[in-house]
Amino acid sequence: MLTAVHQARIYAILTELTAIPADEIKSTDRLREDLGMDSVTRMELVSMLAEEFDIDIELEEAVAIEDVGGVVSLAGQRLSDD
Amino acid sequence: MPDASTPTTLVLGGGGFLGLHTVDALQAAGLAPRCGRRRRSNVLGLRKRKVQMVPADLDDPASLLDAMQGCEIVVHLAGHYPKTSLDPKGALALGLRQSHDVLEAAATAGVRRLIYVSSTATVARNPGGLSDEGHTFPASPGHGTYHDLKWHMEQVFLAEDRLEVLVACPAACLGPGDLRVGTCALLVALAWGMDPPHPDGDVPIVDVRDLGRAVARLALADSPPRRVILAGHNSRLQPLLETTAERYRVAQPSAAISADQAFALADAAELAVSGTADRPALSREIVDLVVHGVPLSARLAEDSLGMIWTPLSDTLDDFDAWARRLRILPPLPEPSPCSPPFTKPASTPSSPS
Repeated sequence: MLTAVHQARIYAILTELTAIPADEIKSTDRLREDLGMDSVTRMELVSMLAEEFDIDIELEEAVAIEDVGGVVSLAGQRLSDD
Repeated sequence: MPDASTPTTLVLGGGGFLGLHTVDALQAAGLAPRCGRRRRSNVLGLRKRKVQMVPADLDDPASLLDAMQGCEIVVHLAGHYPKTSLDPKGALALGLRQSHDVLEAAATAGVRRLIYVSSTATVARNPGGLSDEGHTFPASPGHGTYHDLKWHMEQVFLAEDRLEVLVACPAACLGPGDLRVGTCALLVALAWGMDPPHPDGDVPIVDVRDLGRAVARLALADSPPRRVILAGHNSRLQPLLETTAERYRVAQPSAAISADQAFALADAAELAVSGTADRPALSREIVDLVVHGVPLSARLAEDSLGMIWTPLSDTLDDFDAWARRLRILPPLPEPSPCSPPFTKPASTPSSPS
């Protein structure tokens, strides 16, 4: 179950990686086109997510994420699995 | 299982393409490597392998010293690799500073052996045939930012006398796990039906898993070579691209462009993406590596480390299976009854017979 605290932590990671304030990031923002994250930074994002919540994420899942909503959704799914 | 006599090993750059395969090989050899990581490292692969991770940032010498405490062996795969060739002085300054810091930390921590993974960009041409470890540049090669950086950094490691330093010079690494699509960028572009402009030249290749095995053997060898070339195959870029086109049933690549055309194209491509998250369509360091590439002898690695190289067709098959799973490559077309699914790539062994 993804709580507001979890969501805030995800947005904090996004801010750390993009320097965009959390309150300016929307769930519909695309990681590459809107947030300017290259493929390396997107992998760093997923890796930091895995570390932050101690969840396992497969590479196939990582490369499939396209927007902020996808990031939140994947984290929520993994946390529900645990 | 590692026992008390197993040397404690730190891997710098363990989460990357070369690093993960090196970690696999070290584990297979009975070692339990600990891996340095930065705050923003991609550690998905390391998490999966259940390795110990410790903070280690090449821009934070204190963290290097902490990470190396109690280590007998350090494997350094994290040498500076600039994103573009646009700032040679800055790249050199950073690479040299980080190299000195790694060595200082290793010497202070009492590390016995450090294995530095360099590049075959530091191997000079042998006008009479295959180049080996004896073919060195007396001074910086002057072949561009990447070559000059790698040469200068290697000199720093070879000059170290406070601990044993071994230098591995891998050729272009291919194989599964290349998330950044570095060395194989031209092959991937072609497979997607593009016709990337490219120069031709010698492209020595090594399977990334062979690199890992070689590094593990360097870690454990009683009398390892000081500097060793790791190159399983010698090929030219043009036939390699033509084989790739056959494999994916796409149009054959255009003829190679001249070196000068390729330099100009790569320089313009790097300038175009400067300051953006994009990568250049053709990077200067790839052009430099192809234009100045030399066919290599890997005899020393075979004789001293017992290396047997993975066939290139197996390397490409395994990269293909991995990359298609991650949608880096398009699906492989169904074989038709009248054409073979795959023609063995044109390559020659990297050792004189």
